[in-house]
Order: sequence, then C-alpha cells, then structure tokens
Amino acid sequence: MQTVVLENLSKTFSGGKKAVKDVSLSLEKGEVFGFLGPNGAGKTTTVKLLNGMLVPSEGRCSVMGYDPVRDPEKVHAVSGVLTEHARMYDNMTGLQNLIFYAQIFGISEEEGKKRAMVLLEKLELKEAAEQKLAAYSTGMRQRLSLARAMIHRPEVLFLDEPTSGLDPESAQNVNRLIREMAGEQGTTVFLCTHQLRYAQEICTRYGLIEEGRLLAQGTLEELREEVNPGAEILIRGENLPESTERNLHVKIQSEKEIPGIIRNIVEAGGDIYEVKIVRSSLEDIYFTLTTKGKEEET
Amino acid sequence: MNRAMYAVMKKDFRGIISNRRLFLELLIVPLILTIVLPSIFVVAIHFAPDDPDILKMLELLPQGSRTGGVEMAVTGLILNYILPVFFLMIPIMTASIMAASSFVGEKEKHTLETLLYCPLSVKQIFQAKVLASFLFSMMVALISFAAMMIVLEMEAIFIMDMLIVPAAGWIVILCLLSPSISLITVTLIVRGSAKAQSVEESQQGAVFLIVPLILLVAGQFAGVMLLNVWILLGLGVLCALLAWVLLQKAVGRFTYEMLLK
Repeated sequence: MQTVVLENLSKTFSGGKKAVKDVSLSLEKGEVFGFLGPNGAGKTTTVKLLNGMLVPSEGRCSVMGYDPVRDPEKVHAVSGVLTEHARMYDNMTGLQNLIFYAQIFGISEEEGKKRAMVLLEKLELKEAAEQKLAAYSTGMRQRLSLARAMIHRPEVLFLDEPTSGLDPESAQNVNRLIREMAGEQGTTVFLCTHQLRYAQEICTRYGLIEEGRLLAQGTLEELREEVNPGAEILIRGENLPESTERNLHVKIQSEKEIPGIIRNIVEAGGDIYEVKIVRSSLEDIYFTLTTKGKEEET
Repeated sequence: MNRAMYAVMKKDFRGIISNRRLFLELLIVPLILTIVLPSIFVVAIHFAPDDPDILKMLELLPQGSRTGGVEMAVTGLILNYILPVFFLMIPIMTASIMAASSFVGEKEKHTLETLLYCPLSVKQIFQAKVLASFLFSMMVALISFAAMMIVLEMEAIFIMDMLIVPAAGWIVILCLLSPSISLITVTLIVRGSAKAQSVEESQQGAVFLIVPLILLVAGQFAGVMLLNVWILLGLGVLCALLAWVLLQKAVGRFTYEMLLK
C-alpha cells in the first residue's frame, strides 16, 4: 500500500527560488525512507508541501490518499511532524505539553496522559515530565518533540533531522523508537537528514536530493548497483604481485571473482594476511552522484 | 466547538495567567481605571463640594441629572458620564494584549507552526483564539465593573451615607459596547498578526483604537456631547456591525503559507 506519493512535485517561491524540482517518488507502508541531502537541498520544503503548509507550483502529492492542498486537516490527523521550527510551550511542563497536543488530536485527557507517560519513559524523559519546558536542554526538547509527533499514533511520521542536538546515547534511543514504530505499528517514516551515516543505520530506502532535484532513489543495494556497481576488495599482505605496497585494491563485479584472485596471488608467491570486501557506503554513492551532477552541468 | 478548539482556548487562558509580567500588565490598568480613579473623584467631591467650577458645571447639566444633593449629582455625573469612557479602555487593552500574545506571540516563539500541524483548520484555530481573547477581555471587563461598583458603593455609604445607582447606559456598555469593541480589537490585531513579527509591533496597532475613545473623553469633559443611553446604544450597534464585518473578512483570509513567513 502506497502511503506517501509525490508526482512531479515542484515548488518555486515567489522570489523565483526553485526549492523542489520535479520530484516523483512513493513510499510503502512501514518503510523508513531516508530523504537525504545537504542543508538547503529542499528537504524541509518537501515536508511542508506534503503537509499542506506550502502549495505546490506544479505536480501533486498525497498522504494516505489525502491531498494536502485540499484536505490539510485530514493529512494532519494521520501524520506526525517533527521539524526544527515546530516548537512547544515553554510555560508548560513536558507532560502538560504532550497532554495538550493529544487533546488537539481529539484524544481524551486521561488517555493522553497515559500515552504521554509511556513515550516519556521510552525517551528517558520521565524525570523531567513535571519540569517546565524552559528548563529543558536542546536534546530534551528534541526528544519531547518526537514524543509529541508520536502521541496520536500517526500512520506517517515526517521527521526533519530528528537526531540533531542529541548525544549518541539519546540518538540510539530515538532510532530504536523509530524502528519500533515502523516495524510493530507499520508507521511509514519519512526521515530527512544530512547525516548520511546516521541514515544508513536506520533507513530501509533512500532518496538523494540536491538543489531540489532528486538524484536517485532505492535501497542501498539498488543505489550501489545504479551508481557504483560492483565492489572492491582490499588485500593486505607481502610480496603482492603488481604492487610494491602492502595493500592491494582490486575492483570486482561479483564475489565469485575473489577465490580466483586470491589463488593467483598465492600461486605467484604472495603472502596474504587479510582480505576485505569494501562496498560503497551511502556517503560514497552520494558524493559520486553529486560530482557527476556537477560535471554534467559544466 | 470541538475538543481540540476547547483545548486551544484553555491553553491560551493558561498562557496568559501563568505569565506573571503580562498578567500584572493586564491588571494594573483596570485597577487604576475602575478603582483608583473613581475613588479619587469621590473623595475629591466629598472634600470640595462647593467648588464654584463644579457648581457651574452642574448648572449646565440636563434637569434629570440634578436630583439629590450636590455630592450625589456630581458622583452620578462621574459614574454615568465620565467613567464609561474610561471603562471602554479596558476591553481594548485586555483584548489587544491577549490577542497579540496568542497570535503573534505563538508565531514569535515558533509554536504556531506546531499548532498548524494539528487536525484543526486555520479557520478553527483562529476561531478558538479569537473566542479565547474575546472571553478573556469580557471576563476582565465584568470583574472590573463589579469591583468598581463594590468600591464606589462602599465609599458612597461610608463617606456620603448614600447609595449610587448606575444609569441604564451601563447595561448597553456591558452587554453591547464593550463586547463589540473587544471583538473589533481582537480582529484588528489578528488581521495584523500575519505581517507582524513581534508582539510589541502588533500591540502598537491597537493604540489607534484608543483615539476615538480619547475624543469621547474630550467630548465629555468639554460638554460637546453627553453620553446618554441612546447615544451609547447607537454607538454599540455601530461597533457591533463593524465587529461583525471585520470578523467575517478576517476569517478565511489566512493560509498556512502566509502564517509561516
């Protein structure tokens, strides 16, 4: 089932800036989609378009079958949004804030409190539940915002840089919660980030965006196949043929080539200490794509 | 009115009450206008009833206003002609502070964006906020009136040994004029809130609403126009109409894009 759909979506601001250019993609239920790109690439604009905060200049999009331009309230009812600029009330405690947001999503006060306490516990904020938000640190606010976005158990979660300002331990915690929501509750997660390594840890599929244009999309395997097909093996040893160094890099198309390469080295008198397959990371793929894009432009 | 709108209103009420600085700001003007100022008038009349200027002024008044002794007449004059104009400043001030804090304040603190991601339409959010500001200013106005009457009656009983009766005009003021003025203020602040970037900027707009009131005060003191119940009723109907037109125009002109600029 397709939960989030973008069809030739474009947004040009009144000043003439093209923030999103002809983006088409679709998300399946329960997947964690990493929407990756540098700052200013158009990630937040896309989230705003999907939530009806901005009206597309061209193309269309839908969330759980609802058009955000026509029915923004229906889209909001089924989605939870975490963005850098969507803050909560400093004069209220963490718990009061969560109960308030639960209520505006039509949840009763008691049920809201129950859900809030569960989320606060999972995000290690239980001790700070009765503290006013003014006393919260950046990381605590970020975690509380995540709890706020999850309080009404949305079907789609839009997370814009969810781990910014978090220490590694809290980031792990947040990841676990996101995975849990996607895995157990079937929530679709649209995760925007510029931290590629972080995305690789948690996402099941990716879309790479730069200057508003979608460069590529797919699973890591698909992206590797499309951008950097094959892999590289790193051989560490001595008396390696055709190399005066102790390390040898060999490009391969398939794992089946490895035994032959090793055999040839051994037969030629080489001593092998270590053989490692190095596959391109998301970061490698991203940089290959952006460099290719720049070369095409020039 | 659904649960969500009620929650927004409750939150706005709590927001203003829990902000001590803002709450004091809200209380001090009604306190001066309805308790300190009338008390000064009453005490002044009691201790200087034979002032030739006051006597001359009394002679200018319509026959009906001159029943009872000099003290009674002057106190009635103050209660029914002077204080109503000052009293009308209360809804303007409370409504503008509350509306500015609830609309532009949310924008300034980046909490408006979070609210916009909820399943309420922009129209419903605005309705809830306008209603919260309106009810709050009405509540402050009614409490101020009650406090003013209690203090004035007590002063009248203890100092002058008599009871003061408010004129029928006060009913028009409480039920028609101050609600409409408060609604006009809220609507104007809300209209400006999309462009205003700070609470202070937004409140500055409300200053212009005081101008017609200052003209009324001047009119009262100079004797150009005396506020009787009919003039008040006319003004009330006019303001109510204006409030309705402004409200209709304001609701529906907002879009998400405009509010998040």
